[in-house]
Amino acid sequence: MISAYLIHLAILIVIYIILTLSLQLAMGYTGLLNLGHIAFFGIGAYTSALLTLAGWPFWMSFILSGIVAMIFGFLLSIPTNKLKGDYLALATMGFSFVVYAVLLNWTELTRGPLGLPGIPRPSLFGFNFSCNLSFLILTVIVVLVSFFIIRRLTNSPFGKVLESVRDDELASKTLGKNTFKIKSIALAVSAFFAGIAGSLYAHYITFIDPSSFTIMQLIPVLLIVIVGGLASLKGTIIATVVLILLPELLRFVGFPSSIVGPARQILYAVILLLILVYKPKGFYGKVELK
Amino acid sequence: MSIATQLLINGLIAGAIYALVSSGFSLIYSTCKFIHFAHGAVIAFSAYTLFLLFSVFGLNFWLGVILTIALTSFLGYLMNITVYKKLRKKKASNIILLIASFGLLILIESLILIFFGADVKTIGYIKVSKGLEFMGAIITPLQIFIIITSFILLVSLFFFMKKTKIGKAMRAVSDNKDVAEIVGISSEKIYNWSFSIGSAIAGIAGILVALEQNLEPTMGTGLIIKGFTASIIGGITSVPGAILGAFLLGLAENFGIWYLPSGYKDAIAFILLFLFLLFRPNGILGIKRRGEKER
Repeated sequence: MISAYLIHLAILIVIYIILTLSLQLAMGYTGLLNLGHIAFFGIGAYTSALLTLAGWPFWMSFILSGIVAMIFGFLLSIPTNKLKGDYLALATMGFSFVVYAVLLNWTELTRGPLGLPGIPRPSLFGFNFSCNLSFLILTVIVVLVSFFIIRRLTNSPFGKVLESVRDDELASKTLGKNTFKIKSIALAVSAFFAGIAGSLYAHYITFIDPSSFTIMQLIPVLLIVIVGGLASLKGTIIATVVLILLPELLRFVGFPSSIVGPARQILYAVILLLILVYKPKGFYGKVELK
Repeated sequence: MSIATQLLINGLIAGAIYALVSSGFSLIYSTCKFIHFAHGAVIAFSAYTLFLLFSVFGLNFWLGVILTIALTSFLGYLMNITVYKKLRKKKASNIILLIASFGLLILIESLILIFFGADVKTIGYIKVSKGLEFMGAIITPLQIFIIITSFILLVSLFFFMKKTKIGKAMRAVSDNKDVAEIVGISSEKIYNWSFSIGSAIAGIAGILVALEQNLEPTMGTGLIIKGFTASIIGGITSVPGAILGAFLLGLAENFGIWYLPSGYKDAIAFILLFLFLLFRPNGILGIKRRGEKER
């Protein structure tokens, strides 16, 4: 019993790590405060679920979920490229509302608020990941690959260019960097990883509905990136583990289950406010949020 | 013809409520220069306070209304001095203030959820009455009351900003904070005033919404999204602009569902928001000042 619960938590943590690392790439390294990140997660989840339910093999829908999210990330980057600061935050947030409204209302495709039940567990080369332990192994492999790609990217010369765009866009333009293109790539890659995280989530929970992809679900992700600190992959991973496990304590203190949900949100909100007031750089952050 | 009149009236009612949300929001934005999402939670707080005072404690309705507005105004003031003031002291950017306001929104909404539960509540002061016929369209007395109240309130807000000393000081801080401080206006004091007055208007909006619709813990999020969309359409730094934007938004939403399924009502608002942010980020009445940094 206990081990099943721990495996469940581990899978959630691993999926969240992919999601938070991908937001870190856009927000921490490139300085794009993307409040629409959860929409890419949703797009990935729906793409993968719909394709698999239509009979496509898992590995194809998995990769396509990333690619479709990436296309949306690229499309979003074109109009928002000129925007900065709170205007960028609002525009990306508007994007996530539009995606939510479409998921909710395009009932012929998404079944709207009823959601998509019965999403099959992944199977690869005849092996079915129906048991949670094997699913955990699959997600760990995905997170390791994602982590190495993102780390490689951020340590590369391209990663330095991303940081230069964050610190001083005008200066990097002066040095001949095409900041428009760089920001588009960063947002598209970030969306790709959010998309595959969404695919894993859909195939793990086996049921998705639009309410899993609202701005409220973005709060833990945003909080983790801020607590871990901008432009720190290590901080992000540690913060994900701690902040996903922390609210689980509420269950053991003996809160009734109807209060655990809002109590979790209160806990997150209070941590967010405290960290912004007393430690705005987060625990491992290199730069402050501008 | 009657459909058009009905949509026009529905648009005006929605616009009147949005205008109350967006005028308070944009009053705060114009002086403090950051996006105060928690304004939505302030509205929800107002609606639930009235519910508690009137429907649970059985207080006299009008006394309840006055107390609600006072408490709501105080909540706004409290948010400013407990969170935002501390952040400003640390020279936090407007992005940090935005994220903090997000945190406050979630905090208050979750507290409401714990105290009152997730089920929908009604205040039930005004009995459901038969609508009046007006040029082939139906309008209830309460809806007429909403439109009149918001009109009176917005006109008095306009005169308050133009004629009173505090109103003038607010406009001075909104124009140029440093110069205002040089002539002896304390910007912190003005921020307190903006939060108190803006939140009092939010309190009235919350009461009207509570009478017209039902109460839900998440009602504030929906309203603040409409409120800031309206502000952006009209020009976020201008209170009259925000009011104009609110009526345009209300009409656009209601006439839009003539062509689209009604579920897309919200999407219309976000598409408008998106288009304005891209092509006219300063809104209809917002003026881009010289030397202002590029957004």
